[in-house]
Amino acid sequence: MSEFEPKVVAFLCRWCASAGADLAGTSRLPYPPNAIPIRVNCSGRVEPQWVVEALKAGADGVLIGGCHPGDCHYVAGNYKTRRRVYLLRKVLAELGIESERVRLEWISATEGARFAQVMAEFVAALKRLGPLHGNGGAR
Amino acid sequence: MPEIKPRIGVFVCHCGKNIAGTVDVAKLAEAASRFPGVVYATHYEYMCSDPGQALLKRAIREQRLTGVVVAACSPSMHEETFRRAAEEAGLNPYLLEVANIREQVSWVHSGPAATRKALQVTRAVVEKVQGNRPLRPAEIGVVRRALVVGGGIAGIQAALDIANAGFEVILVERSPSIGGHMAQLSETFPTLDCSQCILTPKMVEVARHPRIRILAYSEVEEVSGFVGNYRVRIRKKPTYVDPGKCNLCGECAKVCPVRVPNEFDRGLSLRAAIYIPFPQAVPSTYTLDEKNCLGLVPLRCGQCAEVCEAKAIDFDMHEEILEEEVGAIVLATGYELYPKEAMAEYGYGTVPDVIDGLEFERLLSASGPTRGEIRRPSDGKIPKEVVFIQCSGSRDPEHHKPYCSKICCMYTAKHALLYRHAVPDGQAYVFYIDIRAGGKDYEEFVNRAMEEERILYIRGKVAKVFREGEKVVVWGVDTLTGRRVEVRADLVVLAQAIVPSPGTEELARKLRVACGGEGFLKEAHPKLRPLEALTAGVFLAGAAQGPKDIPESVAQASGAAAKVVALLSQPKLEHAPEVAEVEEALCSGCGICAPQCPYGAITVDEVAHVNEILCEGCGTCVAACPSGALTFRNVEDEQILRMVRAALEVADVGV
Amino acid sequence: MRAKLAVYWTGSCGGCDVSFLELGPGLLDVLSQVEIVFWPALVDAKRQDLERLPPRSIDITLVNGVLRTEENAEMVALLREKSRFLGAYGACAHLGGVPALANQGNGILEAVFGPGFRPAPPFPEAPEDTPPDLLPEALPLDEVVPVDFVVPGCPPPAGLIARFFEAALSGGLQPGQVFAEEKALCEECPRVREERRISRVLRPHEVLPDPEKCLLDQGMVCLGPVTRGGCEASCPKAGMPCTGCLGPTPKAGDPALALLSALASLVRAGEEGEAAFPEENRILDGLVDPIGTLYKYAFAKYGRPLRRLARRREEVRA
Repeated sequence: MSEFEPKVVAFLCRWCASAGADLAGTSRLPYPPNAIPIRVNCSGRVEPQWVVEALKAGADGVLIGGCHPGDCHYVAGNYKTRRRVYLLRKVLAELGIESERVRLEWISATEGARFAQVMAEFVAALKRLGPLHGNGGAR
Repeated sequence: MPEIKPRIGVFVCHCGKNIAGTVDVAKLAEAASRFPGVVYATHYEYMCSDPGQALLKRAIREQRLTGVVVAACSPSMHEETFRRAAEEAGLNPYLLEVANIREQVSWVHSGPAATRKALQVTRAVVEKVQGNRPLRPAEIGVVRRALVVGGGIAGIQAALDIANAGFEVILVERSPSIGGHMAQLSETFPTLDCSQCILTPKMVEVARHPRIRILAYSEVEEVSGFVGNYRVRIRKKPTYVDPGKCNLCGECAKVCPVRVPNEFDRGLSLRAAIYIPFPQAVPSTYTLDEKNCLGLVPLRCGQCAEVCEAKAIDFDMHEEILEEEVGAIVLATGYELYPKEAMAEYGYGTVPDVIDGLEFERLLSASGPTRGEIRRPSDGKIPKEVVFIQCSGSRDPEHHKPYCSKICCMYTAKHALLYRHAVPDGQAYVFYIDIRAGGKDYEEFVNRAMEEERILYIRGKVAKVFREGEKVVVWGVDTLTGRRVEVRADLVVLAQAIVPSPGTEELARKLRVACGGEGFLKEAHPKLRPLEALTAGVFLAGAAQGPKDIPESVAQASGAAAKVVALLSQPKLEHAPEVAEVEEALCSGCGICAPQCPYGAITVDEVAHVNEILCEGCGTCVAACPSGALTFRNVEDEQILRMVRAALEVADVGV
Repeated sequence: MRAKLAVYWTGSCGGCDVSFLELGPGLLDVLSQVEIVFWPALVDAKRQDLERLPPRSIDITLVNGVLRTEENAEMVALLREKSRFLGAYGACAHLGGVPALANQGNGILEAVFGPGFRPAPPFPEAPEDTPPDLLPEALPLDEVVPVDFVVPGCPPPAGLIARFFEAALSGGLQPGQVFAEEKALCEECPRVREERRISRVLRPHEVLPDPEKCLLDQGMVCLGPVTRGGCEASCPKAGMPCTGCLGPTPKAGDPALALLSALASLVRAGEEGEAAFPEENRILDGLVDPIGTLYKYAFAKYGRPLRRLARRREEVRA
């Protein structure tokens, strides 16, 4: 059986995290291809419902990438996201879903290497957790 | 409205080998042609090239495409390019989206996985574009008039620059005259120009300028509206003197029985209740200070009016509320010195011969209370030993202000130097922590003070200042030698910390402009947008934004003015239409959205309203809206969920 | 001709049946226009009587209660077949309601009887009458049969019941209709919203709320902003936060997650920034029992899919 390859949805803010992912590309820093990147203007646009819908639709984990505290292009969107994710992870844990499956990371536009590293770490962590969906991830 | 069947075109870019070297572009285009909604898919070597764009335009026309996905490099590279091309082909540019298969796929992945991810990314964007609506940039007119708040050097400079560019300016000043603190200064570092000599011509220019209207003795009461379209209520206090009639004879002040401390001289002299702050004041008129007058209603004295030959005094003058429309606002409300009461350890406020920097400026000034002779306040004697203490209240996070007030090193050097010029046999001491003389010719100026004028610079902090007989004793430590120092001085001058002028925060609140922790007006970005507030159409100048010297204030004021001119010169304001939007039929007016907006773009009455011009499009309010009444144009929840589901479906299928 | 009406309860507390009395004198009007063909709480008719009716012979059927047993599922299927219009009446049939919070656990019997529980071996001879088997999960009505309309509430408020009968008896029932407002409860709540920031999260027993101010602003978790109006905000008026019985507004989606997002957005511990994170977390930790609070009625409909995923995970791991 091939190794379980987690499926990840990554909501990335345009100004920091997605720009950081672009920089990882420009710098040719390889990382696991498991995540589907979805670019939004601000991590503050990310709704807890998106995260849950992604999990329901087959994702094993969801990454939200925003600007570092103090650097949000829109001043304070990332702070709202942080609080929402904090509560969402609590709810998921209560439902019996490992809260580590939802990760919020601050990644600046200059942190291409960090983006690649976060991706690698997250995918590795999800592999340790195992598939969220029943079939064990056999493809 | 009948649902139009989507006709989506997908264009896969090779980017030479940048994409095609890793991603199987032919396979991607072939697979994309079978995505739901896609009627046309192709791949081409360089989509951003002219032939690539021609291919795109031709396909839009021939295939009657209702949406386009270009799978290529990051949208931050060529989204503009492709959207412009789409528009030229007759497709609304907001119906084109870019799928990033270079930076986020081909450059970081390899093998079949790269093609699979490219497929996922493209599939997701194909879903998104089907939910996009055609959009047009919002447009709004601009009132071609600016408001400048604060009549110090920064406000004066901003007003002149804007007016000289051809726009009307309303200059609001709280005190009876413009000029600000600069008018109080004796000479300016590092050139030792006479401050009033360089300032007053500018004040006169403001007074004479056909496009500048000075509203002195006035305050901003209320601000509503938004960029390009502000409505401002200004409260103009009565001066009880008609400036058109007043001929500055000064007879009124002579007969006035009242004497109160003169603010302009920082209390070192007295003035009457009817007064002119300084001879070159603009507007050039006397002002009757209602608070200190013996009484107007009923009139208890009236001597001033009796002696006024010009009949300029009008006791019936009333407060006026003026309503003005402006397109842009410059905040130049300046600074004040950290209050005396806070510096008890330096005897400030209790020992009469401990004064602050501005008081010393007045002693140095030829027009000051001592006519430029340095005489100490307690007994009028000429001080032979003067101690200057820098960082008084600055750089002291535990007890006072944590920040450096920036200008004190320079003005203290100037003070010491001017003192030595005035009292050649006097001795000046300067206690300092560091000397910060970053600026053109600044270091040289401090060196001149140290070396040529033999001013004794002592590195260390002063622990205590107290009075002993006629002397003011200063206890400190010289940290270079480690020795305790005691100076028995005749006068002590404190370089008090710079703080925002009183009322700054209140004004900021009216304009929805943020203040930092120390109360200075906060710029939109500390590095890239230092001249503007986050509130669109509001600009910052001078020390209200942070401690600054004159050249910096003037530079910032000119910069802010340039921004204002750029704003007011636009025929119409255009704004990207990808913003939040309220579905009013679903909005209960709960108001949870409004505090999420850093731009004040949301107002709530029965329902919420988003000001399209102010909304910067972060979407934080949309995610906060519990009822789903707020949506985000072309990034609706349903679009995102379609993207997620479709992309995850691809993962299931594999390649 | 009188409309033929059936009312049935499944896993219900009975409150929905009683709620019709809220119509007061209006009830007489309604009764004069309907013929009750089936209503276990009121008239003596048995399952066999129902089975004998021709298909689509009942004009309107109202089902209240959660679907908890095999018998519940069979009965609603039977009613569906016999009815022209079938609606969910009350929060349990609509969203699962409070009884569906049982879906949080792994099997209701295990939860009640403890980990050592084993079902008894079957009797050698099947007895004539046994209690019905439990469904694996407690379900809202529309998970078992198609539902034409909803009269929401716990129980439905009088105004909405009246509005329903008005439409139903005049032949104005629309498929998919929900007899409540499209706008959230805040629309009709008289409380004053000023601050729109939350500096603490409290449970109702921890605070004597200010009579004028918005409960959410006072730190109570009020589901009003995400819940349909239609009850005249009766709970908030009485100082109790809305718990969401009328169900989410049409575009809210999962009401628990929607309110969670709003709540987290409103929390402030001084100026926003890294220094405030620990205090913000402490405020958010004030939300104890997020499932019971946010999903009080809607867990079966919205929280259950995730719970199912988790349960399958647990099984795989075991």
